[in-house]
Amino acid sequence: MKKKIALLLAAALTAGSLSACGGGNESAPSATAAKGGDNGSAAQGGDGGQPAASGTVYPAGTLTVYAMGNPQYRQQYFETWLENHRDIAPDVKIEFVQTEGTADIREKITMTALSGATEDLPDAAMLDPVTIMDLANAGLLKDETEYLTPLLDKMVDGAAKDATIDGKIYALPDSVRPQVLFYNKEIFDQYGIDPEMMKTMDGYIEAGRQLKEKSGGEVFLSYIDPTSKTWRYWGRRGLMPSADAKIWDDSGEVIIGSDEGTKKALGALDTMNSEGLLMKTTIMEPALYDAINNQKVATFCIGAFWDEFMRQNCDAVKGQWRVMSAPEFEGVQKAGAPVSQYMGIIEKGDNPYSELFRMMWYDFTFDIDAKEEWVNSMEAQNAPYSNPVSIEMLEDPFWKEPSEFYGGMSFREMEGKCLQNGADNLIVTPQDAEADEIISAELEKYVAGNQSMEEAIANMDKNLKAKIGKAQVN
Amino acid sequence: MLQTLKKYRAPYLFILPFFILFFIFQLIPTIWTIYISLTDWKGIGSPKFCGLSNYRKMMVDNMFWESLGNTVVYWISGLILIICCALLIACLLNSRFLSNDSARAFFKTATFLPNICAAIAMGLIFRMLFDENVGLVNEVIAMTGGAKVPWLTSTTFSKIPVIILNVWRYTPWFTMILLSGLLNISKDYYEAATVDGANSAQQFWFITLPSLKNILFFCSVTLTVDMWKLFNESYILPGPGTSNSSLFQYMYESGFNVFNMGYASAIGVVLILILMVISVIQFAVRRRQGEL
Repeated sequence: MKKKIALLLAAALTAGSLSACGGGNESAPSATAAKGGDNGSAAQGGDGGQPAASGTVYPAGTLTVYAMGNPQYRQQYFETWLENHRDIAPDVKIEFVQTEGTADIREKITMTALSGATEDLPDAAMLDPVTIMDLANAGLLKDETEYLTPLLDKMVDGAAKDATIDGKIYALPDSVRPQVLFYNKEIFDQYGIDPEMMKTMDGYIEAGRQLKEKSGGEVFLSYIDPTSKTWRYWGRRGLMPSADAKIWDDSGEVIIGSDEGTKKALGALDTMNSEGLLMKTTIMEPALYDAINNQKVATFCIGAFWDEFMRQNCDAVKGQWRVMSAPEFEGVQKAGAPVSQYMGIIEKGDNPYSELFRMMWYDFTFDIDAKEEWVNSMEAQNAPYSNPVSIEMLEDPFWKEPSEFYGGMSFREMEGKCLQNGADNLIVTPQDAEADEIISAELEKYVAGNQSMEEAIANMDKNLKAKIGKAQVN
Repeated sequence: MLQTLKKYRAPYLFILPFFILFFIFQLIPTIWTIYISLTDWKGIGSPKFCGLSNYRKMMVDNMFWESLGNTVVYWISGLILIICCALLIACLLNSRFLSNDSARAFFKTATFLPNICAAIAMGLIFRMLFDENVGLVNEVIAMTGGAKVPWLTSTTFSKIPVIILNVWRYTPWFTMILLSGLLNISKDYYEAATVDGANSAQQFWFITLPSLKNILFFCSVTLTVDMWKLFNESYILPGPGTSNSSLFQYMYESGFNVFNMGYASAIGVVLILILMVISVIQFAVRRRQGEL
């Protein structure tokens, strides 16, 4: 009897293990049950852009968007939009899922797609150019060419450029933000230095020298981060494009070691760092905010996104800061590359909310009144927002209103103006994530004092050649 | 074989759940990892067979070798410091100085606390403690007249906070294992040694340590595996470049930051091989000592 009970118990344990390993499928909806009709074209209005929603009622459920930064603020806009459109989406909710960044978004989407659980994929995601390239190649993004092409004339130059692969557009433009120069006017006034001299890179460095000398070393020109953010903000998005530097040549061969632009870009960083003009501290951390609030850091040559961090963390210097175009290198005359962000609609078989999301995106991009109301709310909450990509919206006086934080200067207007002389971004390749890791590691060792900038550039070249060899350049 | 299976079907049925789980969650993924390591795969689309190119790439990858070196440093330092600290604390908890039961219970609980704290939360606290500009450690150094140390921004010092966090987190667990071993040593040995005139150091060397041999061996094996799988501590306390990265972390970053799944799998295979070799050596040494 005991033996039989033991056998029964063992059999039950085995069965339990097997059933635990199996996936339940009773509640899994069919991923291919209701295909078609979601490419936007059927519902497009006469202008070829805004989808007409007549007669369409979207099914109850949650529209999920993977995003980064502070997506809860973006969610406020879309929730209001849904409240105002209950006739077409009576029971639709929207959820912006906070992620760490585009790598995290890509990881989540990739793993979900690999597992075959397409119903768990988000409906849309905030993406950068490299992720768009990879997801589009894997067939995980909807082709937006037909929908977006008629709208391109209404948007700022190059709005869809980084989402275009082999002539097809795979994501909806969300923002195009320039590289700008933030400077504390009060510090410059105090030491009698003319900020206009910072129009050129040589002038920018000279301003740093004068600040150091006149303040007795108390005031730094800017910061240098010991982590990968130095490459991200000073390098890839800042000095490299404005110096017309290149990692790869047109055929994808590594040329960073011999490229004159790279020497010019990273050489400028080396000059600033070796002359002690940069405060060594991690960006977006309390130590740097303390230094800003104590007037120890005078400028930031960085993307316009830095505005939200300043507003949130540097109240003590409110009204002292101003914005101008990022410094230009002699012979190139370009002011850093704009950073584009996109919203991609995920190709997951039956995505019932594709068209609905396009409608939301359209209003977010082109509905002047709704956008202004949302931006005012963001200002009141010290929350992030970016300039619109719509040309018509940018011409509205609202986008030229003065900003209290910038002493009456219009940050929004300056952001628009700074786009006008933007450099081209570095070529986007599928190998960029790996290349960034290699380049950043060498730059971090330079910041740590382990090697000179010349050695860092030589090591970047050597390691890129050894690990990647040749990049795929479209 | 079938007869044996029939004869011992009850025991085999009892161990079957483990083997099913082992096959599904360990053996098959391991075989899959070996296959993926021979391909060029970015996590989406179809893997493209590329032979041994991922392994060739590893040979010339400075970041791989640096991560491997870091892992060896964490392993050796962990093995020495954690076992020494754990043994010391276990002996203190077991000593006659702690005759009060409630005091003993309090110190046991207090000792174990670091082990139940979330590694990431502790990592963040350590990051604040070792911050170059506003960290408590540098404040104390500055108060005593010393210069601020670039703990996490210099390749010279960056591994020290990771090692300290590592020791702080793992010591309690091994303390409890060693304490249980100490409690199993008969008091008669110590009484006899005292009668024979042995002092405390001699008792520790000739009674305590030999009695804990098997437990120390178990600790060294599990600690070796733990140290080679180190991730949280080095991930949350990064140094310049890969100066703090463990091999496990580098494997993760190659897979999920760079999305080079083939290369990450190759690192995984190398990690498996290294751990197998170390384990075989450890068991061989013990066998030679006649302990196994």
